[in-house]
Amino acid sequence: MYGTGLLKGLSVTLRHMIGTFVTDIRKFPRRYFTDGNHPTRSPEPYLHGTFSIQYPEEKVPMWPRFRGPLVHLRDPETGQPRCTACGMCERACPHGCIKVEGEGKGKERKPTRYEYNVGRCIFCRQCVESCPFNAIELSRFYELACYDKDTIWDLPRLLELGDKEVITEQGQFWGET
Amino acid sequence: MENIWTIENLWNAIGTVLRNWLAGFLPAWLVTLIMDLLVIVVLLAIGIVAVLVLSFMERKVAARAGDRYGPNRWGPYGLLQPFADAIKMLIKEDIIPHVADRFSFNLAPVIVTVGAVMTYAVLPFGRDMVAANLNIGILYFAAVGSLSIIGLLTAGWGSRNKYALISAFRAVAQLITYEVPVGLCIICVVMLAGSLSTQDIVLAQQERGWFFLLMPGIFILYFLAASAEMIRCPFDLLEADSEIIAGHFIEYSGMKFALFFLAEYIHLFAGSAMMVTLFFGGWLGPWLPSWLWFLIKTFVVIFVFMWIRNTFPRIRIDQVLKIGWKVMVPAGLVGLAITGFVDKLIADKLIAGVVLFICNIGLIIGVSYLMGRAQRRKEMAAEGAALR
Amino acid sequence: MSVQIPPTERLRTDTIEINMGPHHPSTHGVFRMVLTLDGETVVDLEPRFGYLHRGIEKTAEERTYVQNVPFTDRLDYICGITNNWAYALALEKLAGIEVPERAEYIRVILGELTRVMNHMLAIGFLWNDLGATTFTPVVYAFRERERILDLIEMAAGSRMMPSYIRAGGVVADLPEEFMPRLQKLVPHLKRFIDEMDTMLTKNEIFRARAVGVGVLKAKDAINAGITGPVLRASGVKYDIRKADSYSIYDRFDFEVPVHTAGDVYARYLQRLAEARQSLRIIEQAMRDIPEGPVTSLPYKQLSRLKPPKGEAYGRIESPKGELGFYLVSDGSNKPYRFRIRSTSLLNLTLLREMCLGHKVADVVTILGSIDITLGDVDR
Ligand code: SF4
Ligand code: SF4
Repeated sequence: MYGTGLLKGLSVTLRHMIGTFVTDIRKFPRRYFTDGNHPTRSPEPYLHGTFSIQYPEEKVPMWPRFRGPLVHLRDPETGQPRCTACGMCERACPHGCIKVEGEGKGKERKPTRYEYNVGRCIFCRQCVESCPFNAIELSRFYELACYDKDTIWDLPRLLELGDKEVITEQGQFWGET
Repeated sequence: MENIWTIENLWNAIGTVLRNWLAGFLPAWLVTLIMDLLVIVVLLAIGIVAVLVLSFMERKVAARAGDRYGPNRWGPYGLLQPFADAIKMLIKEDIIPHVADRFSFNLAPVIVTVGAVMTYAVLPFGRDMVAANLNIGILYFAAVGSLSIIGLLTAGWGSRNKYALISAFRAVAQLITYEVPVGLCIICVVMLAGSLSTQDIVLAQQERGWFFLLMPGIFILYFLAASAEMIRCPFDLLEADSEIIAGHFIEYSGMKFALFFLAEYIHLFAGSAMMVTLFFGGWLGPWLPSWLWFLIKTFVVIFVFMWIRNTFPRIRIDQVLKIGWKVMVPAGLVGLAITGFVDKLIADKLIAGVVLFICNIGLIIGVSYLMGRAQRRKEMAAEGAALR
Repeated sequence: MSVQIPPTERLRTDTIEINMGPHHPSTHGVFRMVLTLDGETVVDLEPRFGYLHRGIEKTAEERTYVQNVPFTDRLDYICGITNNWAYALALEKLAGIEVPERAEYIRVILGELTRVMNHMLAIGFLWNDLGATTFTPVVYAFRERERILDLIEMAAGSRMMPSYIRAGGVVADLPEEFMPRLQKLVPHLKRFIDEMDTMLTKNEIFRARAVGVGVLKAKDAINAGITGPVLRASGVKYDIRKADSYSIYDRFDFEVPVHTAGDVYARYLQRLAEARQSLRIIEQAMRDIPEGPVTSLPYKQLSRLKPPKGEAYGRIESPKGELGFYLVSDGSNKPYRFRIRSTSLLNLTLLREMCLGHKVADVVTILGSIDITLGDVDR
């Protein structure tokens, strides 16, 4: 009959509306109930029920492989950066966001200047893959909005960010050695 | 003096007390004037409060249909959101495009809003609660309600924008088309009720049963035509944002935009209220006070409109006109004939009701069958069209 | 019998010209159409694009082969995985690289997930263009897309710009949680597609709007080089997965659905049917996926890759149609020519012919049913 298709559509949206209230009732007294979990991460994918994350209060933990801005890793013994200013990352970056200058020879070589332009970076991870000294990794920070154009991060800052991350080894979560 | 202070009678009681108090120290004509002005103010207030509630409700329903929460930041459960919206609207810059026809550009929102607010005068909010119990109430409603077309046309013309102009074309074509079936449906109701006054129509339903049960076919017709009149989905072609962006209010901002917004929701409320009056027994209902029943029913109807809006796409303009003239008007005429004959020929009200119900079901099935057949033919023709 | 009105007595009407875009809500990006309207009827339409031109083809000639992988993500940003795949395929042909078994399965799984996602999104946006004002079907489509993107993020580290498929395999093996999640997601996606089906297919308003609108004749479509669901909805059974089978598609049992109406509605049905077939492929791939290495060419070798002199064309059936990369090597580590045969641009070529004689409202519907991404059109 003409019109049944319309009624079917209405029934679907109604089921969704009821579904959201069912979620509300089930978790009643709490306002934020994804428990920091993204609804996409729920163990059982569900068709009906609210799907929002209420951002500033609820934050989604990123997957271990999430590609955020670059951080530098420290040598666990000396606490010094592992970077030797070999310049491989600078060459590998498709966007030219890395500038490295260093001094010294061989193992003693240390970076004197390491500039990373996070505003240009596309988080492709090629610099990390190219680094032969296990010195950098991409972090899981994602709140990068800022009010100024201070997008060039230098080595101390990158190291500091690296300390906040749990990553200790390059390629830790990527099935690499 | 018997007790006037029942919940049922709350608003009338306040009115009476006020009137008596004013009559103590003012001349009679001034009392009448003040009381009438007061009624107007109250109606306007109802209008604005309804808009606040409806805009909130619209957003919540849209959100819930899409598995979201909707506004929930400002106030408990986001209840203060409409005020935030209103403040935002009011403090926005008022832009007048410098090529616009300033006079009609500025006039349009006023016409639209006034036309919308005036419809409230005949809504029977409860037993003995109608601002003006006109004996031609329905006629007044239909006439005043279509006043806003002029405003829409003025807006489309005045803003000197091609999208707005297209919207204005559509407004005129669509609203003129749907005046006719709305009128036909109203005539059916009026025939059964025997009066044009809204209060009498409600009372007639007390006697004969809700007209929605007696005439489901006419009701569906009225529902569709009224949603076209109110510019609700799926007939919201005037403000089709995916085609003509926002239609007639594309150039409006700030307060003037807010007025259009206001008018739209006032129309929605008034249209739903009128539908309740005509088909769902108005303020009739057990236990609860009459005005509460009226509000409950109205909000249920409004919810259905919003629900539909969140589900369906929009119809194309030529299809809207085609359905209007080729389906709704003939169906309305048939319905009119059925109602007229049944009402005149069968004296017993119960039997007449049953016959009317059966005839209406027949009408629904017939129209549905014919439309389905046309659609099937079209689909059959489309099959394999790419290979031909 | 129609009455002939002498031209002098006809109502004198004028056409109006309106600009739809570049910031129109339903042009799917920065796309502009100059419409000439007679009342509401379209008498002429001129598509203008290039607002999103980023010069990727030229830029890519300045970068090494591996550095170009992230650029391919940004062509059709809805389905990054398949873009990576097409580029990887071209490069593999150019340099004669073998791909391990497991990597092929991973590619198929992610590629088909991308197809499901793209088709769901296309249907959602088609409804948006039809005027489902409050985005309900779009929101549903986005919800499921989010689930798929979450899996892609888990594997590749980025939702929309995965850069995951590279010549020689994939960047890294799938994480452990991936498979259990996928196993739950596939039946869920099936349920979701069924729900979309109930909600949308039989809807009378949709059918009235979509049937017979924007008919694309098979002959014209072939002449214009249109591919993908749009071509198949016009009754041409052409799917590169079958016609020029690449990767391991010859191992899977799936059908290529065809519809013959060639209108907006047929394209919608086509997408729905294709999404179902994709899920079928994923199920089989999930069952058969072997263990083993995932790449034959680790990054350190790939970055030094210098393919022999020559040229190669790699093409795949991307969700939107044939996506091809044409690479010319001069023996150095940078491509001499990097040409993209982009799907959306070619699918867009007949827009004018499809739209003429229809109403303004149909223009957005037809554009929505072609399913373009402006990043792919303008490159
Ligand atoms: S992630 Fe990519 S773009 Fe960013 S610095 Fe590393 S190589 Fe450059
Ligand atoms: S490649 Fe690694 S070691 Fe070399 S400069 Fe870059 S970060 Fe330092």
